[in-house]
Formats: sequence, C-alpha cells, structure tokens
Amino acid sequence: MQFFLNAPMIGFYIISLCILGCAVMLLSFQRVIYMALAIGGVFIGCAAIYILLGADFVGAAQLLIYAGAITILIMFAIMLTNHEAADPPHKWTPRNILSAVGAVLLGAVLLLVIRSTTWPPAVDADVNGGNSNPVAVGLALFQNYTVPFELVSLLLIVGMVGAVILARERKEDEDE
Amino acid sequence: MSGTFPIPTGSLLALGAILFCIGLYGALTKRNLIIVLVSIELMLNAANINLVTFSRLGVAPNISGQVFALFTITVAAAEIAVGLALLLAIFRVRRTTEVQDLDVHKH
Amino acid sequence: MVEYAWLVPLLPLVAYVFLLVLGRRAPEGIVAGVSVVLTFIAFLVSALVFRSVGQNPDLTGPYVFHWLTVGSKSLTVGFEVTHLNALMLVVVSLVSTLVLLFSKGYMHGDDRFPVFYQYLNLFVFSMLALVISPNLLQLYIFWEMVGLCSYLLVGFWYFKPEAALAAKKSFIVTRIGDVGLFVGIILLFLASGSFDYSTIFTAAAAGKLSLGWISGSGLVTLAAILIFVGAVGKSAQFPLHVWLPDAMEGPTPVSALIHAATMVAAGVYLVARCYPLFQLSPAALSTVAWIGGITALLAALIALTQRDIKRVIAYSTISQLGYMMMALGVGAYAYGVFHLMTHAFFKALLFLAAGSVIHAVDTQDLFEMGGLYRKMKLTAWTFLAGALALAGIVPFAGFWSKDDILAAALESGHTVLYAFGLIAAFCTAFYIFRVYFLTFTGEPRDPERYEHAHEGSWVMTLPLVVLAVLATIGGFFNTPWSGYGLERYLFADSPQGSIGVTTPENVGLMALSVVVGLLGIGLAALMYGRRRRIEPEKLARGASFLYQLSYRKFYLDEIYYFVVVATGKAIAAVVDFVDRYIIDGIVRLVGWVVGLVGTGLRYTQTGQVQAYTAVAAFGVLILVAWAMWSIGGVL
Repeated sequence: MQFFLNAPMIGFYIISLCILGCAVMLLSFQRVIYMALAIGGVFIGCAAIYILLGADFVGAAQLLIYAGAITILIMFAIMLTNHEAADPPHKWTPRNILSAVGAVLLGAVLLLVIRSTTWPPAVDADVNGGNSNPVAVGLALFQNYTVPFELVSLLLIVGMVGAVILARERKEDEDE
Repeated sequence: MSGTFPIPTGSLLALGAILFCIGLYGALTKRNLIIVLVSIELMLNAANINLVTFSRLGVAPNISGQVFALFTITVAAAEIAVGLALLLAIFRVRRTTEVQDLDVHKH
Repeated sequence: MVEYAWLVPLLPLVAYVFLLVLGRRAPEGIVAGVSVVLTFIAFLVSALVFRSVGQNPDLTGPYVFHWLTVGSKSLTVGFEVTHLNALMLVVVSLVSTLVLLFSKGYMHGDDRFPVFYQYLNLFVFSMLALVISPNLLQLYIFWEMVGLCSYLLVGFWYFKPEAALAAKKSFIVTRIGDVGLFVGIILLFLASGSFDYSTIFTAAAAGKLSLGWISGSGLVTLAAILIFVGAVGKSAQFPLHVWLPDAMEGPTPVSALIHAATMVAAGVYLVARCYPLFQLSPAALSTVAWIGGITALLAALIALTQRDIKRVIAYSTISQLGYMMMALGVGAYAYGVFHLMTHAFFKALLFLAAGSVIHAVDTQDLFEMGGLYRKMKLTAWTFLAGALALAGIVPFAGFWSKDDILAAALESGHTVLYAFGLIAAFCTAFYIFRVYFLTFTGEPRDPERYEHAHEGSWVMTLPLVVLAVLATIGGFFNTPWSGYGLERYLFADSPQGSIGVTTPENVGLMALSVVVGLLGIGLAALMYGRRRRIEPEKLARGASFLYQLSYRKFYLDEIYYFVVVATGKAIAAVVDFVDRYIIDGIVRLVGWVVGLVGTGLRYTQTGQVQAYTAVAAFGVLILVAWAMWSIGGVL
C-alpha cells in the first residue's frame, strides 16, 4: 500500500491504465477509424508519462508529433483509402492463438526479467545539469549529438521527398 | 530535487513491456495495413518509454536517453510518412488495404 | 659444310610455314613444288655434310649454345653431326624428297592436299631435327613431334572410322614405349647431370654413373633397357608392334615415308646412337637381340597369309626392323646401320610401288588384283627389284646387309637367333613374291578394276626408278669391292677403330642365305605363279590351325584386348557401378531429401507478411528466453 502514498504514483497508475485501456481498445475496435482514435489516446498517455518522468521536452514533442501530426496523418490515410473498412469480429483462428501465445510468452519473459533484476535505488537524479529540461536537451543535441542531428534532418528530407514521389498520382503515365 | 523518486523503475519498465506485447499482437493479427502500422508505432512508443525511464532512473542517469527518444520519434515520423505513402500507392493499384490480400511474395 | 647442317631440318620447316601461310586453298603445283624443291635442297646440303664428314672426321661433334639453367644444371640446344647421323640425314632427306614428289601424283585431287603436304613437311622437319639433336632432351621433343605427325598422317582420312581408330592406336601404343624412354632419359640425367650424349657416355664408360639406390652397372642396364623400350614402341618391335599394321590406314606415301623408311627406323637409330651405353651392358644387348630376333620371325610368319598388300609390307617392315635390332643386339653395329640404310631404300620402293598399284586399281586386297604386269610394266619391274632386295638375292641391296647380320649372329654364338633369322628370311622371300605373283602375274581376278589400271605420271614413276636403282646397288657401299666403305666411314671417329663386331665374308653362309631365299621364291611361284603346282587353299585347309594362327596375327590383338582392354573395362565397370549407384545414389538422395524438404517448406511460404513476422517474433522470444536462461537467475 506504500505505492499509493504519493501523488506521482497515483498519477502513474491512472495514466498507465489509460494507456493500456486505449491499447486494448485499439485491438478490440472493429471500425478502423475508431482504432485511429484509440491510438491517439495511447500517444497522449505516453506524453503524460514522459512529463511525469521530468522529460518535458520529449513529452511536448510526443504530443506535437505523435498525438498531433501522426494521428492526423493516419486519419487522412484512412479517409483516402477505404474509410468504411472494418475488421471482421475477432475470432480465435490458429494464427490469432499463436500470436497471442507468442505475445503473452514474450511479455511473461520480459516481466520476469524486470522482476528478477535488482534495480539500483531510484534516486531522484538531476539530469538537466541545472538548466531547464528543454535547454538541457538542446545543449545535448547541439553539443554532443550534432552529427546525428544533422543526419536525422537529412533522413527527414529523404523521407519527405520519398513520400511525395510514392504517393503522387502519375498523371503522365496514365495519359500515355 | 533529491531524494527517492516516487515511481519504481520496475513499474515503468513493466508498462513498456506490456505495451510492446500489445503492439506485437496487433501487428501480427490485424488485417488492415494502417492498423498494422499503428501497432508498430505502439511498439516504438513502448521502447521510448524505456528510453526515457532509463534516462531518469538508470544506473547512470543521463540526458542522452531523452535525446535518443527524440531521434526515435523523428525516425518514426519519417517511417510513418513513407509507410502511408506506400500504402496509398498500393491502394491505388490494388484497391485494398488488407494485409492478407498482399501476397505477391508467395512462391 | 658441317656447321651449316642446321639448314637441313630448317628447310622443311620453312616449307611447312610457307604452306601454312598459303592456306588450304593453295594450288597443288605450288604446294608440291615448294616442298619438293626445299627438301631436295636439304638433301643436297646433307649430302655435302656427309661428304665433308667423311673426308675430315675432326669436323664432327656438337654445336650447341646455352638454353636455360635449371637449378644448378645447364641445358643446351643446338645440333650435332656424327658419322651416324650424317648418314641418317642423307637417307631421310633423300627418301623424303622422293616421297614428296610421289605424293603429288598419289594425292592429286584430294580436298586437303595442301594440308597433307603441311603435315609431311612438318614430319620431315621433326625427323631431321631428331636425327641432328645433340642431347636426349632435344631428341625426346622431336621424338614426340614425329609421333604427333604420324598420328596426324595416319588419321589423315579421319572420316574413315578405321583411320581414326588406327591413328589413335598408333599414338597410344607408341606412347607406352615413350614413357619408358622418358624415364630412361630422366634416370640418365639424374645420374650424370646432363642430357648430352657425349657427357653421358663418357661418364658411363668411366663408371661414374650412379644413383643412391642402384649400382652403377645396374643403372646402365636399366637406363639402356628403358631407352630400348622407347625404341620398341617407335620401331614396332614385339610386343608393341600391333600399331604399325593398323597404321596402314594412312595414305600410302605416308606408309612409305614414316612407317617404313624413317620414323620407325628412329628406334633403331636411337639404339645405335646410344650404342656406347648398350655396349656397357651385356644384359641390355642380349635383350635387344632377342626382342629383335623374335620380332623378325613373328612378323615374317604373320606376313605369310595377309590379304592386304600394304599389311604384308607392313609386317615385312616390322620383321626387317627386328633384323636391325638383332644386329645391334649381337654387336654388329655397322650391319644394323647398313641394313637400316638399305631397308629405307627398298622398303620405300616397295611401298611406293604398292601405292602406285593401289592408285591404279583402287583396292588393297591382293585377291582383287592380278595380271597387272601388262598394264604397269615399270611398276612391276621396280617392285621386282625391291622384292629381290628384300628377299636377299645376290646382288641386290638387301642381300649384303641381311647376310652380314646373319653371319654376325652366328659368329657371336647366337645360334638360335641365326636360325630365327634364316627362317624369317625364307618367309620373307615367300611372302614378298606371293605379293608379286598375286599382283602382277596371272589372270586379272577383277576385270573391271583391271580395265581402269594404268601407269601413273612421271612424278610417281621417277621416285620408283630412283629407288629401284638404289635398292639394286645400295648394298655395294659395304662390300669388299668398295673396301667396306660404310664400315670405314662409321668407324672413322671411333678411337678403337671399330664399334661392335664385324665379320669377314663367309661364302658358305652367303650361299645358304641365297638358297633359302630362292627356295622361298620357288615355293611362292609354285603356289601363286603361272603354273601352280600347289593349291594354296588346300594347304590352308590342311594346316588350318597354323594358317589361322598366322592370318589372325597370332591372336596378339585379341590377347591384348582381353588382357589390357577387357581388364580395363572390367575395372571401369566396377568404378562405373560405384559411381553410378553409390556415389550418384548418395548425391541423388541428398538432392531428393532437399527437394522433399523444399516441397514441404513451400506450403509455409504464404506470402503473408504477418506470418513471417510471427515467425520472427517467435525467434526473438526463443533467443531472449535462451539468453536469460543462460545468464541464470532469471527464469
């Protein structure tokens, strides 16, 4: 009962429940569009966890990119394709059973590992070096991780151009 | 800002593990290609939770974990953009987004 | 002049290259003309060399230059003129010139006429270069080259299956002998550190040849016998004689040049050239003598009953080569060389005359000829001259040389060999006159062929006449009237004044030989002549076993077939079985299992990405579980 003695702990449990609930809903919905909404819930919950852990900047980025951009992008994709699409009601086909067994076993192994590991005492360490979190992240990015940062920007450009080329309607091809 | 952190490491990691397994199950069983992509995002988020957790509560707490999570988010964004573009292209040709219908790899 | 001896082999090589450049469509006149003229010049050069060597023995010796260094050994190439090989040069180039001239008529109209001349020129070059080689290595190179030319020429009409088979047979059988020669050469090189004749002979005479595992005298005997094995293969001696009769599938000029006068004599030449080595080993010498004697008798017996005109002469060649070997073996070096020379003339003559006949009637079967004297007088007369020389009748060339050999055999105490030689001489006289009577006398057995028969043009008759003259008078080179010119010539550079033994004239033996020869001729006349008294068919039936034995060539081909070929085939069958059913079986089983597994696995390839992912996920699960388990304390 010690767990519930402090506010962050209570918050963590509520958020966790939200995340897992949304994730389960994602699996159990049949309309595709509802699934996309459920994933938005998961993303927002994750952002809350990040903020709870003191990673304010990551949490904000998570909100902006995942909960904002990506969820909207997915919804657009659904609308552009077959927005009436729905998964058939869930059935325990052999593949589903096998997948479930695999996932549960993997989860069990992971949980056992987590449980049996002796974690260092959870000290409330100051990782920001005295600055606010966004400043600390910015300093790390532009001091220690400049090259990966630039590479990631290149990756984004390539991804963007690739997405445009792939998704483009080839009018000239169709005309010919 | 010192003293014992209120949330145990194990709980956070367990959250990540469960989320990862749910994502895995979805990626393996869902029929709609979009939802498969979404499930993969779920798994990426589980990994991100671990990264941020270790950034704060690991053996050597460090801001690098958060930076790494940022990189992951960026890559995931690029991935989902290209993935959805591919999906649109496939849909235009095959008029379907069902994974089961995309089996040209057979034989 | 001696220092220009290298011109002799070079001229046919020039002809060969020239013809090669001219190509396969060159006109026959130019092709034959160039070949004959260049070879004739080579003959003139060798005649001059022969003369200057005869006048001044000091001119002999090797003319070599350094070629390459192998380890600490230095190899040389060059040429060497001795009395022996100067004589060989003359004989080879003379016969070559005549045969090249004869071929112009014989091969007229053949599609590959220029190719034939290319091969012939290459052969003449190789043969002359073989003769003039100053060391065993160079000799071996050209030894193989003449073998190659023989193969090409025997198989010249390769579209005939028999010719292709015969070419293969001659090549493979002689190769057996060549292996012996090669091993012998290497042995001598290891023992003396040199390929040069003179170095080897000097070391051998001084008893300096030795290897760790064999005594000096044993080494000399071994090396001499190995060299003799090479000679056995090349000179078609028993038991490797089987290739020569089959080689008659080649064009007749080839038989005359290669398989009578020159290449087959290379074996005899080799033994004569290495004579200093043989003289050191009585065992090797008696091996040579016995092989020669057996060959002479065996081949003569086989020749008695053959139906093919060329095969009779081929067996005759084997027999005469046996005489030469016997002469060398009993120590009569000069007589072996003497017989080599006379035989080259009269056997080339016989072959060319036979070629003229074949050219006229287009068959080689004796029993389809007959009465050709009326159509081909010149050929008949020249053939008669060759036949008399072969039969050893006074005063033709063969008489002097053969009689010398027989006398030397008796003189040296080889009574059995003398008897062999005498019986063979009787058979020789019989079979060659059997050929003569069947071919030229009597009534035509095949009127249609007889109608077409005619004498060839001057290119074919001129060589016949020249050779007939040589076959008639060639023997006088070594008679009392010429002061034993050949012996004096051959022994001129020998410090002892002679090589081997010589025998004085023995009138009694001479008379016996002539009588035996005349008896053979007489029997042939009785059986096949105009007034036949003895029916050959009856005789063949009466002595059916002996007749079959001779006609079937003592079943040697069959015996070889069963011993060598059948054994090889049996081994091959076993190997084939193992390969086909055991090795292949394993291979096929592996393939079949893999195929089966593949067929099974095919059903797992659904093309479903999620199925693949699931498998990957299970893999990850197993890996993680295994890793955690092996760390311990977790699971």
